[in-house]
Amino acid sequence: MSAAIERTSSAAAPTGYFRNPWRKPRILQGVTIGYLLWSLLPVVIAVIFSFNAGRSRISWQGFSLRWWTQDPTDSLLRDAAMRSAMAQTYKLAFLTVLVAVPLGTLFAIGIDRWHGRPARTANFTMLLSFVVPEIILGVSLYILFTNLLQGLVPLGTPAQVLGLISFQLSYPVIIVRARLLTIGPEYEEAAMDLGATPSRAIRRVLLPLIAPAILASVALVFADVVDDFVTVAALSAEASSETLAQKIYTASRASPTPEVNAAATMMLITTLLVVAGGLLLYRRFSRGQRDIATTDFMQL
Amino acid sequence: MIGRHPMENRWSRRQFLGRAAGGAVALPSLSAILAACSKPGDDTGGSGTGSAATEIPIATLENPVELPVTMDPIAADTPIESGPLVLYNWADYIHKKVVAEFEEEYGVDVEITTYNNMEEGIQKVANGQVTPDVFVPTVGYLRRLVERDLVMPLQHELIPNMLANVWPSYSDPGPYYDLGWNYTVPYTIYTWGIAYRRDRVSDEDAAAQGWDALWNPEYAGEISLYDSYGDTIAVTIMRNGSLDVNTSDPALIDAAKVAILETINENEARLTINGVYAKLPAGDFTVAEAWSGDIVGAQWYLPKGTGTDVLGYWRPEPGQTMIGNDSLVVPAAAERPRLAHEFINFMLDEKHGTDNFVNWNGYQPPFTSIEPGALIDQGVVPENLSDAVVTEAMFVDDLTPVELTPEVEAIWLDAWTEIKAGA
Amino acid sequence: MPEIAAPAAEAGGSRRRLRRRRESVAQPGRDGGVWYPRWYWPSFVAPGSVWLALLFLLPFYVVFSVAFGTVDFGNFGQPVPYYAPWWWSFETFNETLSKFYEGTAIYRPPLFRTFVYVFSATAICLVIGYTVAYYAARAATKYKGLILIMLVSPLWISYLMRIYAWQGLLEVDGPINFLMQPLGLGDTNWLAGMHVTVILGLVYGYIPFMILPIYASLDRIQESLLEAGRDLGANGRQTFWRVTLPLSRPAILAGIVIVTLPMFGDYYTNDLLGTTKTSMFGNLISEQRTQTGGSTRMASLVLILGVIVLVPMLYYLRETKRAAEQA
Repeated sequence: MSAAIERTSSAAAPTGYFRNPWRKPRILQGVTIGYLLWSLLPVVIAVIFSFNAGRSRISWQGFSLRWWTQDPTDSLLRDAAMRSAMAQTYKLAFLTVLVAVPLGTLFAIGIDRWHGRPARTANFTMLLSFVVPEIILGVSLYILFTNLLQGLVPLGTPAQVLGLISFQLSYPVIIVRARLLTIGPEYEEAAMDLGATPSRAIRRVLLPLIAPAILASVALVFADVVDDFVTVAALSAEASSETLAQKIYTASRASPTPEVNAAATMMLITTLLVVAGGLLLYRRFSRGQRDIATTDFMQL
Repeated sequence: MIGRHPMENRWSRRQFLGRAAGGAVALPSLSAILAACSKPGDDTGGSGTGSAATEIPIATLENPVELPVTMDPIAADTPIESGPLVLYNWADYIHKKVVAEFEEEYGVDVEITTYNNMEEGIQKVANGQVTPDVFVPTVGYLRRLVERDLVMPLQHELIPNMLANVWPSYSDPGPYYDLGWNYTVPYTIYTWGIAYRRDRVSDEDAAAQGWDALWNPEYAGEISLYDSYGDTIAVTIMRNGSLDVNTSDPALIDAAKVAILETINENEARLTINGVYAKLPAGDFTVAEAWSGDIVGAQWYLPKGTGTDVLGYWRPEPGQTMIGNDSLVVPAAAERPRLAHEFINFMLDEKHGTDNFVNWNGYQPPFTSIEPGALIDQGVVPENLSDAVVTEAMFVDDLTPVELTPEVEAIWLDAWTEIKAGA
Repeated sequence: MPEIAAPAAEAGGSRRRLRRRRESVAQPGRDGGVWYPRWYWPSFVAPGSVWLALLFLLPFYVVFSVAFGTVDFGNFGQPVPYYAPWWWSFETFNETLSKFYEGTAIYRPPLFRTFVYVFSATAICLVIGYTVAYYAARAATKYKGLILIMLVSPLWISYLMRIYAWQGLLEVDGPINFLMQPLGLGDTNWLAGMHVTVILGLVYGYIPFMILPIYASLDRIQESLLEAGRDLGANGRQTFWRVTLPLSRPAILAGIVIVTLPMFGDYYTNDLLGTTKTSMFGNLISEQRTQTGGSTRMASLVLILGVIVLVPMLYYLRETKRAAEQA
């Protein structure tokens, strides 16, 4: 018996490896590691080259902060055009989150509870806005704002904000809705049995329960708007309404310097910070979730 | 236990939806609805005719046009507005240092918005997306801009540098497209030619090939054409042997289209706007269709250690290429017209205009003080680029691209669409 | 009613003044549950719906009006929209449509290329994505969290930045050519209109969207099901084919649709990594932005693109509805 086992394990090690059902998945591991490298290495290289002393983005000529702060006209923080692009990016992100998340959350709560034909139509339209390719939405809004609503909504920041909200509206809906599916109406019903008005029940009971989802959608929408390019480009007007993403796009088709790398790194840092912040807050809210719910009940 | 019925005093679902829908419909402005009910085609008419009364003929060298002045220029004593001045210009077409000097002298900010081709620039001004104070159109769009009342006439008293520094032919009688310089002042002058790397193509070789250099398979992958339908199709027409750069002949246009597609597909020619000054010095391109200013400006994009002697420019014999100029205009919707006039005067100042040209732009302004011979002597223009210098005599011989009628433009555009679709 | 209100006043009154509300107080009624007024939930949905109606549905109508309107060439080719359907003129639309099949059919190559690129890229995404998701979900051990974060992170990195990063690496004297030298490909100009570049660029950009749903679904597959399969005699491969793969089928379909739909409208990948020789449908649209008479043609092209993606869109919507109903 032991001889047989020995023979199996020593005979042709590769097939022995493949025959072992509990083997380590080396091939999969290799593919995955290869994929991760392929996926993240270019970005890492781009970030590193933003600190390049020379003009090239592929041949390293030494470390320098030239493209970040030192160059008088072509550095990220001193180039007025880049600074205005950064300001515009964050302004758009902030405004969009401000409108899209509350609107989307309300919509999600309503759709979850309301059953009926019009509800299904509204839901369908919302999902439609999620799957539509962005160029279709961007061009349609451009045509809307330059024809029917010409003069009412000038292109530039107003149009960009409206367009971004329309495009991002479906994200909070989907995220909050997913969370709501796991929360039945029991909590609010219990609250109302104890005498709360519906609005109160929602405010004191439901909102804290879905707070993690709301936070997640804030982070997601913010990051998405910072990275957004198609809608913003379609609806931009003059230079002051251009965002970092647009600047990267136009520069990369022209003569990109590491300043563009710096701009892209800036975008990256922002989104990572927002996502990390959202994640931390999410953990904090979720951890205390059960406690929050019970104390609310006590108060009622 | 059973209190007030929730259905009392409540909107039924149907009523609510109806009111919400009604609210949504009423929101677009009432006038738009009223306007939408009548067929729009009746009052604007088809192509070519403008609003109101003016219908301006297309200007050519043989038939120069004086653009009608339908509104008054601003008064000479209008106070200078505070900034920011919105300048709508080609990308990389003005020296930021000169702009900074203007900002300092007048204490205002200058906002530069750029476009990468003329059609894009004109679209945004035409539908009011961008309301600049100073605009830099090519001359072919002037007629329509004036017809649509999109530009305002210039107050000559506020631009004394025009008469002081610019070639007299631009003010008296004025250029063919704007006799009496009612609306424009010239910004730069340039010719069309081939820019090439002298370390890969000898001067004799370049001169021998001429326009055909852009079709030479030896330079496959390193050829650049302009991403602009007017320029590239016209250059190809010249390469094919005709001098009718404003042709309406579909056969000529078609032949040009076929040739362009040929060099794109077989020689990997690329369509760029900045290939000459941004990529040729770095060695990405060997030959490129070029405006003369682009190759002169390319000297400032050379990588460290490369001398200007690698840059070359070939222009054909007199009369075999195109020559043109760009102009500065003040749009009618400008919010700071007086400041715009100051800016125009500033750019026509000898020192600033020359600074712009010599230290960054590469595009020559038509100043009387700039002598082509002196440019080479002073080292502003390297001797190997002597063909890039523009003289007044060239305007007599060389071809002038003029505005195309909408029907002809449609033929050109169709050919260009086919090229861009990558068929 | 007073009996019910009193406890509420006691309990909440200490924290803040209890405002008597004239609106409905919860009444025990049908279902043993609560009774909301009829307008209650609709009022939640209304703001979002009005927004969508104005800024999602209305633009589509305007696109129809512009596409079926005319062009005013005297005014730099601005569109003249016909809002009333009975004025609609199909001249410009037919002209654009005919570019797809008539005569030289100049739009046919980009359309064909788009389909080829999308299908190839989706297939590659699926193969690589499934493999990676499988490893991350089922086989990874103590690094699972780290791997998950690294898989998700590209979603937070701007698509543009990622493609821009590749643009730098693919330059003729860049590191990719340096690595390719032993293979004899060290001089390839990857950015000069090569189909491979664009396809791989699309894969690179969209693969995280494929990985996530598949990972989520694979993660949820219970170990017990796989062990049951093994107990019944299946080896590793059979377990995969007959248990894992069918269970992850909905996620695969979802991933395919999430990846395919935006890819049809993609134009910036080609702008950065390709040339006119590799232009896609999205490039046709974006090219018209700067042409005289472009708005009308853009509208026509958007309509055509909408029809093309309509089928996968509706399929996806049907599937999510079905999934939501089952959940």
